[in-house]
Amino acid sequence: MNKQSLQKSAASGLVFGIIVIFLALIGFTVVFSGLIQKVLGQSLGVGQIPRIGNFFIFLGFLGIWNGWRAARQDSHESLTLPKVLLRAFVAGLSAGVLVMVYAVVVGGLDARGVDMRTYLSMLSSDSIKFFLFNQSVAMGGLIHVGFSTLMAVVGGLLAFGSEKSQEQVKATRTKVQNWSQRTWLGKVQGNPYVSYVLMGVVLLLLVLLPRTWGAYWNYVMGTVGIYVLLGLGLNIIVGLSGQLVLGYVAFFAIGAYTFALTTSPEPHNLVWNFWIALAVSVVAAALSGVLIGLPILRLRGDYLAIVTLGFGEIIRILLKSDLLKDFTMGPRGVRNIAGPTLFGRSFTSDVDYMYIIILAVLLSVFLAKRWQESSIGRAWLSISQDETVAQATGVDTYKYKLLALSLGAAFAGLGGALFASRNQFTGPEDHALMVSINVLCLVIVGGMGSIPGIVLGAFVLKGLPEILRELESYRLLVFGALLVVMMIIRPEGLWPARRPKLERPVEPDQEPAAVAITVGGKQ
Amino acid sequence: MEALRKKIPLTLPQNSIKIIRIIAALLLLALVIVRAIDVAAESQFGADTWLRLSVSGLIIGGMYALIAIGYTLVYGILFMINFAHGEVMMLGTFGGYFVFEAFNAIQVTATDGTQMSFLNANPVIAIFLAFLMGMTIAALSGYFLEKIAYRPLRGAPRLVPLISAIGASIFLQNAGQLLFGPQRRQYVNPVVLDRGIGWNLELSGSTVVLTYTGIFSLVLSAILMVGLYLLVQRTKLGRAMRAVAQDKKTAALMGINVDQIISRTFVISGALAGAAGVMWGIHNGLFNYFVGFLPGIKAFTAAVLGGIGNIPGAMVGGLFLGIVESLGPAVLGIDFQLKDVIAFSILILVLIFRPSGILGEALSEEKV
Repeated sequence: MNKQSLQKSAASGLVFGIIVIFLALIGFTVVFSGLIQKVLGQSLGVGQIPRIGNFFIFLGFLGIWNGWRAARQDSHESLTLPKVLLRAFVAGLSAGVLVMVYAVVVGGLDARGVDMRTYLSMLSSDSIKFFLFNQSVAMGGLIHVGFSTLMAVVGGLLAFGSEKSQEQVKATRTKVQNWSQRTWLGKVQGNPYVSYVLMGVVLLLLVLLPRTWGAYWNYVMGTVGIYVLLGLGLNIIVGLSGQLVLGYVAFFAIGAYTFALTTSPEPHNLVWNFWIALAVSVVAAALSGVLIGLPILRLRGDYLAIVTLGFGEIIRILLKSDLLKDFTMGPRGVRNIAGPTLFGRSFTSDVDYMYIIILAVLLSVFLAKRWQESSIGRAWLSISQDETVAQATGVDTYKYKLLALSLGAAFAGLGGALFASRNQFTGPEDHALMVSINVLCLVIVGGMGSIPGIVLGAFVLKGLPEILRELESYRLLVFGALLVVMMIIRPEGLWPARRPKLERPVEPDQEPAAVAITVGGKQ
Repeated sequence: MEALRKKIPLTLPQNSIKIIRIIAALLLLALVIVRAIDVAAESQFGADTWLRLSVSGLIIGGMYALIAIGYTLVYGILFMINFAHGEVMMLGTFGGYFVFEAFNAIQVTATDGTQMSFLNANPVIAIFLAFLMGMTIAALSGYFLEKIAYRPLRGAPRLVPLISAIGASIFLQNAGQLLFGPQRRQYVNPVVLDRGIGWNLELSGSTVVLTYTGIFSLVLSAILMVGLYLLVQRTKLGRAMRAVAQDKKTAALMGINVDQIISRTFVISGALAGAAGVMWGIHNGLFNYFVGFLPGIKAFTAAVLGGIGNIPGAMVGGLFLGIVESLGPAVLGIDFQLKDVIAFSILILVLIFRPSGILGEALSEEKV
């Protein structure tokens, strides 16, 4: 029971208090309480303030987490009940008092009739009253202190309980594992046919789902599919060959604009066939990858990032400018872009587009996987781990980096062409820096170098915000925080890549020549 | 080593790449010069326009230089691009804005009995406090940025802190948007620093206005730069910073608290960025949460241009970039909306042809 641990608890409580205040300032408390209300099955109109009970659930969750963290601040010591209670109490109290101060200040100003939305855009009078539980200022502040302390103590008790029952949990887990390995589960897991059956089921779903789930879902999932394409391409550049490129949107723009300018009647009246234009845009994007890569790929990693960011911005500004107005229509963008046709029939319904996107994704996944497992993939792996060592072992690093950039750019070109064709429009604002950042986020969140990770990342980053519409405005905020947190606690991503096991295992008594076959730098 | 190098002749490919690079650079230079002479022959602009453009370039360049120093200090020590530095500047801009707004709301009675806002009654105090507030907020955000987003990643592969910095930048930008709203806001300047008024210069038949805000920004940024230079060269903290930049391990062995020095570096660079942010607001007026993005990237360009890790280099680079960006469209006879393209092109060209910048890099060998 030393002073230091109490200071730590108080500090951690203050951090939680700051988090609650920040969430209140950006209006997240109201939105998230509304989301809880919806999840609990009650309806909530647009612009309506949710019920107070849901706010208690939200605060309770944070409070329990606060107490839990305060109780388990040091993982090496064993916990005793009074220690846990005191720590959780201190943490909860300090968080609560801080939040109370905020609530009293804001509530007091609001009660005097000051409109704070002039400066803090989310602090409407309704949301302040909501934050005070529709009570008076003093009462609301006191409820905050009491509830925060109570929930922190509950959290501390939970932490204590989980610590005590950890032995049992471990025993149960091993028991379950033993059981599952002995019975059919274990046999199924090792069976290669299972993966074929699974693949068949997924394919069947991919064929059936677009027909059944309607236009809206086709649109959302089509966007996800295009982002899977972009993610696969950027994964080759960032995940496999280890070159950080921030201007990936440049290739997306080149693909989209090549497709648009060759199929749209307006600026040039080149009404090419969809498939020819598609191939041309992929090639154009790949070529631009080579051209951009030639001078800059010798730069060291972080310079490369900034230079490519500059390229992306240059291309966007040029597309927007009056300089190229006759060529690219300037800020208006290109309209009436062609849809796919085959044997004289046009395939422009949402279902058809979904199928085309699914086909493109499957093809890309196949190609990316084959490249990753080939000798090219191993060369990329060696470059990403240590370029000097790779060069010393005979890998032509420049050539392979260039190859990675152009292949990645080709994927972006395909994605851009499909995107432009589906929207029948493309303009300079479709190609803002945010696209690059989004794709980079999904590659990193999913897991660099891992193809299932990319697909998962695309669903999480593009699919989830469409489903949770309320959280749309917080999407980028959360991704920014997520990038930082992931770099700190889980830099390998949600679904990390597994090193391909095609390399020969090194036996201890093998001759040294065989050791050189395994690629890879320092671990 | 030298003897060995002399014995082995340079292989052809390396040599030819160097030659190609030099030829390409010369060709590009010739192209730019020819174009500039062409445009100059048309003599579209008079001397007044050139003077106006150079002055505005110099003013913006001073702000770039202040931000660029932050990049260079951090890059020199941690070898990492502090991508969120522009957002630190944005927070500083908001800090100064709120001080001006608060003082504008307070009414006081002046000595001659008229009612006026505190802002206009005591402009010196208001401006001083605005800068103090902007710099403090920016310095604090720099401190916490380092503590939360970068310190846990010390010693990680180089891309990891860069990605973390990009994440922090996105986070701060969107937090700014959610907190203060997406609309553009206008700085309320004290009357003495009204935008648009200044000394009138008669030149070739028309007047050129040297705005008070511009002169004020330029002078203040010069003072801050000199102050920083003295801090780094003359004080104990500065010596410790230089030691850490040179070699962290040896510096630690000499009894320097490396973590503390890194923290203080972030505080100093944040404060400079905050000052630049308040200047930006006073001089340009309109701003919103996105204000830090472009100056941030351009200031990084300036830092690279002058030679990263090199403090005088960052100052020179900032002023140079400001002037080039301002004069470039006129010299090349292209649209003024393309000035960002010129800035980015310079970044790319410098990195391709002379990655060590104008004044040369100042990085320790372990990092390169």
